Amino acid sequence: MSKKTEEQIEPRRISRIGPKAILRGVLKHNLSRAGIVIIILLASMAVFAPLLAPYDPNAQDLYQVLTGPSTDHWLGTDNVGRDLLSRVIYGSRVSLTVGFFSVFISVCIGVVLGLIAGYNGGVADMIIMRIVDTFMCIPFLPFVLVLAAALGPGLKNIILALAVLGWTGFCRIMRGQVLMVRELPYVEAARAAGASGFRIMFKHLFPNCLAPIIVAVTISLGGFIMLESTMSFFGLGVQPPTPSWGKELRTGYSYLETVPLFSIAPGILITLAVLAFNFLGDGLRDALDPRLRGEGKKIK
Amino acid sequence: MRKYIIERLIYTVILLFLVSILIFALVRLLPGDPIAAAAMANTDLADKRIMADLRAHFGLDRPVHIQYVIWLKDFIRGEWGKSIGSGEPVMTMFLDRLPVTIELFLGATFWAFLIGFPVGIIGALRRNSKLDAFLTTGSIVGVSIPAFWEGIVFIYVFAVILSLFPPSGYVRFFESPWENILSVIMPTFIMGTGSAGLLARFVRSSFLEVFSQDFIRTARAKGAKEPRVIRKHAFKPAMLPVATVIGLSWGYLVSGAFIVEFMFAIPGLGRMGVDAVFARDFPVLQVILVMVALNVILMNLFVDLVYGILDPRVRVNR
Amino acid sequence: MPPLLEIKSLSTHFFTDDGLVKAVDRISYDIHEGETVGLVGESGCGKSVSALSLLRLIPNPPGKIVGGKIFFEGRDLLKLTEDEMCEVRGNKMAMIFQEPMNSLNPVRTIGWQISEPLEIHLGMSREEGLKKCVQLLTDVKIPEPATRVNAYPHLFSGGMRQRTMIAMGLGCNPRLIIADEPTTALDVTTQAQLLELMKNLTRDYQTALLIITHNLGIVARYADRINVMYAGRIIEKGTAVDIFKNPRHPYTEGLMASVPRLDYDIKKKLVPIEGQPPDFLNMPKGCSFHPRCVYVFDRCRVETPELIPIFENHEAACWRNVK
Repeated sequence: MSKKTEEQIEPRRISRIGPKAILRGVLKHNLSRAGIVIIILLASMAVFAPLLAPYDPNAQDLYQVLTGPSTDHWLGTDNVGRDLLSRVIYGSRVSLTVGFFSVFISVCIGVVLGLIAGYNGGVADMIIMRIVDTFMCIPFLPFVLVLAAALGPGLKNIILALAVLGWTGFCRIMRGQVLMVRELPYVEAARAAGASGFRIMFKHLFPNCLAPIIVAVTISLGGFIMLESTMSFFGLGVQPPTPSWGKELRTGYSYLETVPLFSIAPGILITLAVLAFNFLGDGLRDALDPRLRGEGKKIK
Repeated sequence: MRKYIIERLIYTVILLFLVSILIFALVRLLPGDPIAAAAMANTDLADKRIMADLRAHFGLDRPVHIQYVIWLKDFIRGEWGKSIGSGEPVMTMFLDRLPVTIELFLGATFWAFLIGFPVGIIGALRRNSKLDAFLTTGSIVGVSIPAFWEGIVFIYVFAVILSLFPPSGYVRFFESPWENILSVIMPTFIMGTGSAGLLARFVRSSFLEVFSQDFIRTARAKGAKEPRVIRKHAFKPAMLPVATVIGLSWGYLVSGAFIVEFMFAIPGLGRMGVDAVFARDFPVLQVILVMVALNVILMNLFVDLVYGILDPRVRVNR
Repeated sequence: MPPLLEIKSLSTHFFTDDGLVKAVDRISYDIHEGETVGLVGESGCGKSVSALSLLRLIPNPPGKIVGGKIFFEGRDLLKLTEDEMCEVRGNKMAMIFQEPMNSLNPVRTIGWQISEPLEIHLGMSREEGLKKCVQLLTDVKIPEPATRVNAYPHLFSGGMRQRTMIAMGLGCNPRLIIADEPTTALDVTTQAQLLELMKNLTRDYQTALLIITHNLGIVARYADRINVMYAGRIIEKGTAVDIFKNPRHPYTEGLMASVPRLDYDIKKKLVPIEGQPPDFLNMPKGCSFHPRCVYVFDRCRVETPELIPIFENHEAACWRNVK
């Protein structure tokens, strides 16, 4: 078969849902709209932290220790007099950075391995899936805890710990999708027209597998942010004096009775961040599900 | 059917073996010499010769793969060694704390079912109504709240302000049943809310999926009234994926146990694990991780078998 | 004697995000006791929706029966309460669906499912129900009925599942059975067997039968009277003989001409009906068929024709019949 013929076979989308329709579907739901707004706000908080924070987050003022909320310090101060609001604002940087990078690396690893496992099958599939199964036997939190403790403190190490363990979910999803998609007739047709394995994988298979991955990525962003703050809470992760939501919460816990806001405030932000990604993920899931979209059409 | 069970069991054993290697390697990654760490806590051990003796005693001076084999042999035989920090036999520590964690698990599952099922079913029956939107939001919130923050808020409200429940600590059931329940309400609720949210979402979508199936229409066409349709036609098929979710969220429960026991100072296996991580207490940590993995593996096996029972199609296909 | 079923100006609309869909637009026809009536039309013309409307099984949202009357055994079904309607379904009026693969509950045995209407409507116990079940399975010619009663649907072939559906429908001896594309999902041999079976059973049990299909061959052989549906409306009504010998609506004519026949000259080309079925969200003005009609003239584009009686028991909604 000539190369020309294969190129004529257009990579077909299973679900004829273009990006514009997805956006419309997502924005239709109130919840996902709220999610997008919150994410934009948090991202702005992280990016524009120096402009937004009233004080230097590391500036100590030992005359103003553990004050409650006041006009000077809207959230009060911490145990060495640093402004809590500024620390919380800067804390968003840590959370979002860790979230994005660890998810990004996880997805890359997971999607590639899932693609290989699903498409090639055989030995590669067996080895990869055994590794995935083994990793997934240990619940994520204790696993990350031990690994993070092993790698030591610091931003890079937390990202590494999350990424090294987090790819398994994406791998499974990708593999499942590949298995489903590769049986479709048009993939056969492409193969019959002489397309090479690589070409089939990337041009024909891949785009149609993306839908659940996108949803998983969104929800994972929330999950990884939550895990980062949990690790900070346990004392791993970024080290002082860098502010991080989880760490502030932990410190605040000791002063719960006197200054409850110290631990309540960072927690609200963590919850908001995770919530926002979950809302968005939910909206995306509904928007991308072809079955749910056929709702309003009449039956024959 | 029997073939299916046997296949799953064999795979489980293989998996356990692989996991044990992973855990062993993982734990060995922890930097820091546990003997040195113990010596810092207990100056009796600070003598170089004593430390060398201890090392030999714990087998820490042998090559890693030999250590693994020794450990594996001992583990299967039930000889779990002693904690490097406290010298207590690990088996004793484990058995002592196991019932505590089991109680937490039971309580959490209770809350999860109590909240999750009704929320999911009502959401499905009243889909797209305001109630449904409210319940869906609630479910997502339940999943999104970090357990440790939820703990802090609860402690503040119920223990500090209202003084209803103790802020931490645990009282054994046999010592005082009432105080035991009080001390356990908050931790189990927190552990349960995450799973409850997940369960509610799954139950709802599973029911909706089933309701859109043709055989439900057939049931209605036969003159079955709605309650009957739900009970006798929709319920069983809708429960199948829910069994998977219960298996999935089991892992979350385990993670929750780690956090909650730590926060509420409950002497369970989770706490034991967290302490062991920071103290580099290898023998303890290994046992905890293996047990945790075993817990998850067994739960998944159980779910697979339940699937086999509930769904007649699975029996044939296997 | 009054008809068993009298449908008067029934309308079912769907309120979708993209607009209003008049899936069924003021249709009227009757069915007499013991009669077999065919409802013919292409996919998407609204015939299945009309059948579901009879049993009030239209999902709401997004659908709703917005008007008309359905007189069954003298009562207007649209005025019944939901509970009263449940007593009619599966009991006096039963329905057999198109996809036997999906229409049976996968986690219940065949016996349980067939026995269900008997338990609900006739008050039988499980044992009595299962006994009747075996008898019904024999009637629909399923081999080894006593064993099959405990089988699960996934073990059955498509043809057998459809027979099960028929058995389920016959259980309470309904006065009317609605068969919605009962054989479309099956192969040709099975189709023939099943239709013969249905014909014999309805004759033995003296049940009226409404066959809904796009397959003209089926209605030609089995129906006494035929209603032709297009774009949500009935555009021709008559006896089977009349409709086939003397179609008075261009659409019906087109349907006849587009069906290949063994006694045609091989070289003769199939004549399809030009154009596309109409978009319910964007119906043509006037006669809904006019864009595809070879006889179209000015009046067709402007006025929507109602059913006009042509001969005795033969009506068509076409301005050509009015001169």
